[in-house]
Amino acid sequence: MDDIFWKSIADYNTATWPLQILFIAVAAVLTLILWFRPRTWAKIAIKVYMVAVSLWIAFVYYMKYAAARDYSEVIAIFWCMVAAAWIYDLLTHFASFQKPDRCSPWRISFLFLPLLYPVISLARGLEFPMITTPMLPSAVALYMLGMLLVFSRRINLFVFIFIVHWSVIAISKIVFFDIPEDILLAAACLPAIYVFFSMMVEEDRTEYKPSRTAVKALVLAVAVLIGTCMVVEYV
Amino acid sequence: MTQEYVTRIADFIARYLSYMLGAGVHTSRVVRNSKRIGDALGVDVSVHTSQKTATLTVAEKGRPVMNTRVLDIPAFPISFEWNADLSALSWAAYDRKMPLEEIEARFDSLVAKPRMNPVFVLLMASLANASFCRLFGGDIWAMLVTFTATMIGFFTRQHLTRRHVNHYIVFVVSAFVASLCASTALTLGLDSAEIALATSVLYLVPGVPLINGVIDITDGHIQIGISRLVNALMLIVCIAIGMSATLMLVKDSLL
Repeated sequence: MDDIFWKSIADYNTATWPLQILFIAVAAVLTLILWFRPRTWAKIAIKVYMVAVSLWIAFVYYMKYAAARDYSEVIAIFWCMVAAAWIYDLLTHFASFQKPDRCSPWRISFLFLPLLYPVISLARGLEFPMITTPMLPSAVALYMLGMLLVFSRRINLFVFIFIVHWSVIAISKIVFFDIPEDILLAAACLPAIYVFFSMMVEEDRTEYKPSRTAVKALVLAVAVLIGTCMVVEYV
Repeated sequence: MTQEYVTRIADFIARYLSYMLGAGVHTSRVVRNSKRIGDALGVDVSVHTSQKTATLTVAEKGRPVMNTRVLDIPAFPISFEWNADLSALSWAAYDRKMPLEEIEARFDSLVAKPRMNPVFVLLMASLANASFCRLFGGDIWAMLVTFTATMIGFFTRQHLTRRHVNHYIVFVVSAFVASLCASTALTLGLDSAEIALATSVLYLVPGVPLINGVIDITDGHIQIGISRLVNALMLIVCIAIGMSATLMLVKDSLL
């Protein structure tokens, strides 16, 4: 199972590395445009990019290169659902990417985390093509998470929960497939759970019970609980 | 007692029983409570209920001053809090012989209480489903997968409900989304992956209509009891359709 896993990554990298570089370059350009000259077309383009990259993962990675893995079509459908969540966002303007008035450095650092995937792989002695890249599912999920954290004023919770779900799958892959790079996604998701849900609680001005503070405390407790489960199982 | 006063009492009891029936209280309790309030105010109350409407007659005891009406039952979310609070109100009205104005004021304050925070409900439902997964033998991975799969399904349900999508469609879509997400556990080769898949849709099970349907039938409210059971059955069929779609996609069979 482990061999099939890493062989599919190697085949994927060997065959698609020029396109992977193109995808990464487009992501970098769009991110920079959103940061320095946020225009409506760029806000739409970044969502179109998210749809494209989700479908790339579904059809190119899972349906073609990882097809030999058990139930790879299930994951392909899952990534199609992520693409559907972005399309829904695009059509309904559910959330919008805006340049932040101020943004803490730790949030911005999330945007660079996908680039650490190949670095970690190389650091632990792996060689191309059998290394993780920013165009693997977890790294893509991490990039989406970073974009939501930095640019989203109203959260697309569909996409976010999909990413949280993917991080649960990713953290289990650390154990089952020896891919410690995915710790990045899991570690990023936990604070994001607190940030996004708290933001959602604060945004809604309707009077609910229990109080906002109590709900935020529950969100924190859930994030800690998930983190503890992950650590316990990993250790 | 004037006709106008009887009409006011009927107005209030109509609101009272429509809120209780709408919030998922079983019929005999609603009828009992309405009659109790009627007793407190010196009137006889007769109620006939069905799934969508109720017929109410309020008559002054021993005199032919009465008011009859047919009222629609609104679809409120299931609320155990309204169930408890409004039942307590009927006892308070009876025990303290409260005037109509005071009963109305207390009723208004009880139903105006803030609702549960949707984020709180989302997280608690997800935790509950993860706990079910554990009860059925799932390990921690399966619980985590069930937790997040439920979160996606439940959020889908909340979102579609807010958009007034037909609630059978909401159930089919939510069951499909939750079970499909839970099926990703199969890729990990977990022994308890199928438990995660099975428990990911439990948050949709219409427990309250099922229990109320049985209670109503045993209490003699056969019509509304059967209506509630049929309604619950339809929802269960919707869950089965959503889950079957996942199973056909993932395993190419229903077993």
